[in-house]
Amino acid sequence: MTGQSLTEAPPRRRRESHATAWVRGFALKLILLCAVNALGLYGVIAAVAVKSWAIAAFLAVALAVVDVCYFSKRMIPAKYLIPGLLFLLVYQVFVILYTGYAAFTNYGDGHNSNKQDAIDAILGRGSERLPDSLSAPVSILERDGELYFLLPSDQAGQALLGSATTPLHLVDDAVFEGSQPTGLPGYTTLEARQILAQQSEIGNLAVPRSENPADGFVRTTDGMNAYTYVSTMAYDPTADTITAADGTIYSDNGQGNYASEAGERLEPGWKVTVGFSNFTSIITNKSLRGPFFGVLVWTFAYAILTVVIAFALGLSMALVLNHPTVKGRRILRALLILPYAFPAFLSAMVWQGLLNSKYGFINQVIFGGADIHWLESPWLARLSVLVVNVWMAYPYMFLVSTGAIQSMPPELEEAARVDGAGWMRVFWSVKLPLLLVSLAPLLISSFSMNFNNFNSIYLLTEGGPLENPTDMAGSTDILISFVYRLAFGGVNRQYGLACAISLLIFIIVAGISAYSYRKTKVLEEMN
Amino acid sequence: MRKTTTILLAAVVTATMAACGGSDTPANTTSSTGTDQPTTASLLVWADATRSPVIRQMAESFTKDTGIAVEVVERDYGKMRDDFISQAPTGQGPDILIGGGDWTGKFVQNGVVTPVELGDVADGFADVAIESVTYEGQVYGLPYALENVAMFRNPALAPDTPATMAEAIQTGQAAVSAGTAKYPFLIQIDPQGDPFHMYPIQMSFGAPVFGQDPAGGYNPAELAMCGDQGKAFAAYLAEMGQAGIFETTMTADIAKEAFVNGESPFVISGPWNTADYQTAIPDVAIDPIPSAGGLTASPFVGTQAFFISAKSQNQLAATQFVVNYLGSKDAQVELFKAGGRPPALTAAAEDAAVANDPSAAAFNAVAVDGVSTPNIPAMDAVWGDWANTEVAIIDGKGDPSALWDEACASIKTKIEEAS
Amino acid sequence: MTATAVQAASSPPPKAGRETRPVRSAPDVNAGRRAVQASWRYLIAAVALVFALFPIVFIISASLNPLGSLTSSNALFSAVDAGSYVDLLSDPAHPYARWFGNSMMIGGVTAVATVFLGACAAYAFSRFRFKGRRGGLLTLILLQMFPQTLAYVAIFLLLTTLKDVFPILGLDSQIGLIMVYLGGALGVNTYLMYGFFSSVPMSIDESAKIDGASHARVFFSIILRLVAPILAVVALLSFIGTLNDFVIASVVLTTPGKQTLAVGLYQFISQNFSQNWGVFAAGAVLAAIPVVLIFLFLQKYIVSGLTAGAVKG
Repeated sequence: MTGQSLTEAPPRRRRESHATAWVRGFALKLILLCAVNALGLYGVIAAVAVKSWAIAAFLAVALAVVDVCYFSKRMIPAKYLIPGLLFLLVYQVFVILYTGYAAFTNYGDGHNSNKQDAIDAILGRGSERLPDSLSAPVSILERDGELYFLLPSDQAGQALLGSATTPLHLVDDAVFEGSQPTGLPGYTTLEARQILAQQSEIGNLAVPRSENPADGFVRTTDGMNAYTYVSTMAYDPTADTITAADGTIYSDNGQGNYASEAGERLEPGWKVTVGFSNFTSIITNKSLRGPFFGVLVWTFAYAILTVVIAFALGLSMALVLNHPTVKGRRILRALLILPYAFPAFLSAMVWQGLLNSKYGFINQVIFGGADIHWLESPWLARLSVLVVNVWMAYPYMFLVSTGAIQSMPPELEEAARVDGAGWMRVFWSVKLPLLLVSLAPLLISSFSMNFNNFNSIYLLTEGGPLENPTDMAGSTDILISFVYRLAFGGVNRQYGLACAISLLIFIIVAGISAYSYRKTKVLEEMN
Repeated sequence: MRKTTTILLAAVVTATMAACGGSDTPANTTSSTGTDQPTTASLLVWADATRSPVIRQMAESFTKDTGIAVEVVERDYGKMRDDFISQAPTGQGPDILIGGGDWTGKFVQNGVVTPVELGDVADGFADVAIESVTYEGQVYGLPYALENVAMFRNPALAPDTPATMAEAIQTGQAAVSAGTAKYPFLIQIDPQGDPFHMYPIQMSFGAPVFGQDPAGGYNPAELAMCGDQGKAFAAYLAEMGQAGIFETTMTADIAKEAFVNGESPFVISGPWNTADYQTAIPDVAIDPIPSAGGLTASPFVGTQAFFISAKSQNQLAATQFVVNYLGSKDAQVELFKAGGRPPALTAAAEDAAVANDPSAAAFNAVAVDGVSTPNIPAMDAVWGDWANTEVAIIDGKGDPSALWDEACASIKTKIEEAS
Repeated sequence: MTATAVQAASSPPPKAGRETRPVRSAPDVNAGRRAVQASWRYLIAAVALVFALFPIVFIISASLNPLGSLTSSNALFSAVDAGSYVDLLSDPAHPYARWFGNSMMIGGVTAVATVFLGACAAYAFSRFRFKGRRGGLLTLILLQMFPQTLAYVAIFLLLTTLKDVFPILGLDSQIGLIMVYLGGALGVNTYLMYGFFSSVPMSIDESAKIDGASHARVFFSIILRLVAPILAVVALLSFIGTLNDFVIASVVLTTPGKQTLAVGLYQFISQNFSQNWGVFAAGAVLAAIPVVLIFLFLQKYIVSGLTAGAVKG
């Protein structure tokens, strides 16, 4: 847009009467608010219907806030902030709160779901097929809403019938197809489709073989064949204990497992809150404490250097290309942001290939067959991840710098030039300070992003190389990649622990950033 | 001021409408696809892109027979295990998924899969396949394919099958000195290590990762690789590293390209590369991996299997589809044609389509000597240290024995911490 | 409000894009001298271009290589063949055109909505004084610093729950995915915009208001036009960010036909080890083209210094 259109636009608008605009606007406002309310109310009702109380409550409150805000003549800033804030609350704040909650649980492998699921899984595992026992095609019958299994028997002309409440017994008048009994007078035989329509009832149906539970029960898992099982685990809902076939009693140990007196636990367990134990285990964890300091220093170095170098590069290119004597600026700029246009995982894979010490392009072609261990020796690996990360990050800096330079008043530079300042002088004392004021928050935020830039490290070196093959931390490991290895690298993935660590890292980064903002005084100038 | 309010409101509400109100059209489309038609249930299957078409094909006849729709969703195989573990408890996961037999332990530990009653069909499967989906005595999946590495040989550079690793390397070195090859022997290692491809060589020294209990299950308390046999293997790695035959810079990509270009007589690789190797070298041979330590060089035999979610609302239908359709000979033959991995069902493996395929037969012959990839959760603690240590030994970063001991100690600690 | 009011407020009157106006007014500089002046700029640009482009040349070379292997194709463009592109566009196993369309749609909608939400918030922060204003802006920026590596679990849970109430916002919905992205609309982008909004002198608003314009009219008809460069920058950043995301997109979208380019390509490459390199590289090259085109298109907004106001300082 140019200045010309700016000067033309207002008169055109002026021809329209304010009253007309008001009426039209008001009608629009009514329609849209009605629609929002309808949608919101629908949401509340739907949420109540599916018993999502949290969603219902959130929607009700949000709707009230929206109505009050937009019908009121005051609270103008809120009118502009609410749309974005709603999204923020639902999608970002929720993630943080959930992570915060999970940090206080034992969520992870072996503690993956709720207690009922754990009991079901234990009982499911505790049902063993009897060796060499009855295994036969089954017909499923129904009478008065009760389901029956009809099975062949070893008595000629007789079949076995049973339901959840009546153990299997011989019946005489079954209709046979070959050796398979398929029907019984007074009972309806279910067709394949009817069986599948009632599959959960049929799948859960256990027909006792006899009055003696030790003889086991007959079940079907596919609606076509029946097998005999015995339970090796029994759940007692009143005592909340599980008893194994050998008489061992497992009870809720309060840590999300059924455990015997001797401490033997049944798998799976379930998710419970465990207080601060994830946080204390961070402190007591030996493999964390040892390398922690080195990793922390490297994390800072990595994040700061990435930002500084990428910014220096991006800004220089923005300055160099922001000059009328440079022909083809548009194309050059477009080429320079290309690294940004490729997905990061692809770039990392390509760089990995380029940096391969024996076959990579860099050693083979650029260094004439040299054997430089770019990714295998600690310091070169650090250099490599830094270079690659700068490669991925500078287009962003280039973009924002170009934007910022464009918004600087040329009069400033002209005035300085008139005063006799040279190019360098103008840059260092006029342009850079101005740019820094407007870009410092972006740099701080970029720092925080790189502080947690898990993907760029993980895709390139996975944190390696390791000084020692069994070390927990590699040379290029930053805090977040290191602690994720701790949380997920063992036998069990400890999601709760990872959440606790994420939360701590967030506190560190947010604290540093808040402090830096204060230091740069950017926000102080707001008022 | 009122105008302000109104116009602003309009904008905001428009945004909100765009956000929330956009639901109309797509909502209609989803309901019209029939996924939530109340009359019959439908099955949701997670599979990778290679197998999806075959599963869809089997699903057609299943749907015709039972009226139950089957929706096959393609998922990233690498993330499927962990996604399934975290999604199954919400009830949003699939009814059926394909996966590696070595995931079984993790699934059971998290209570996300249900035992599959194979009935009398179980006997029809290769033992190693059933073993790999069995955890603490129960079968949790229906295996459909075996997957293991073997040695590809370029007959132009090495006319005969080598009996031992030493012989293979000798042949390779001769080819290199003659100028016909560039690498005596190719095995992908990667800077991150690759114990999977290296395992047959380790096994030829008699150093399996875990010991086995009498029933055949792996015992996490017994790290069998941590003995003298394991150290002998470590010494061998160091020796090969020093000689420059094993290189940690050798990635899968480089190894493949080198073999395709005829730069080496041998490469250890799996059925996923068969097609490309056959295109490049029409008479390429597939041999058992030669022994380095004197014993049989048994590779890991991974199994691909179908699992049924413990939270599936359609257990009966899912079991029917898995056992009676995907477990059928036809399905297993089709799956072989799609993925190139030998079928787990013996009858399918003996089918003409498979048996007449020389590469499948060759891989099958190697699989007979293989051991199933451990499916116990403790295996998760082994891979990292194991891979890193092999790399360190090959790169000559220390005394092989000492490095091996350290790895063992570290793995042991991790396994003990978990129990 | 009149044209004079605007001109008076923004002094000196804005002219067409600054690029056309040499910084140093030297009409007598001859062409030769100008070329010398510019030559060092070309030199620096050339060095930067080599750094920026050589990995990309590799990708292009791999996409044209019938073997499609990356690491060993040190001889660039040793074999050229469009087979990978043909495979990419014809194999029904990976509906590339669909992915491409999905990405453009999701990226485009997200970018426009992000700009809108962010600009509203930036306007509130720069034009009104209210309680919690400073803390609010800082909080927005700090909230975005939360490590996202674990976010996938929470997002999955959230969308599963939302699905029961608003099916369209649930899993496997592109609109649901856009909503998730919009959760990040306020943040550092708001700050970026805030800085530029503040560089527009308040006198413009005031004279418009004296003329009877409401705050909404000031926002939509005056301010938004004056801050076009930053809107373009934020739109581009948001578009690229959305296009390159595969972590969240792969959690939310499961049906292959609904997936985005990044997810589709990532899953494609992760299957069957290294078989798909060439096709994958071809897919990435094609995917980068719209980003470049959009950048070329938006460049004129980004580099047209419209307001005479300074960067706030």
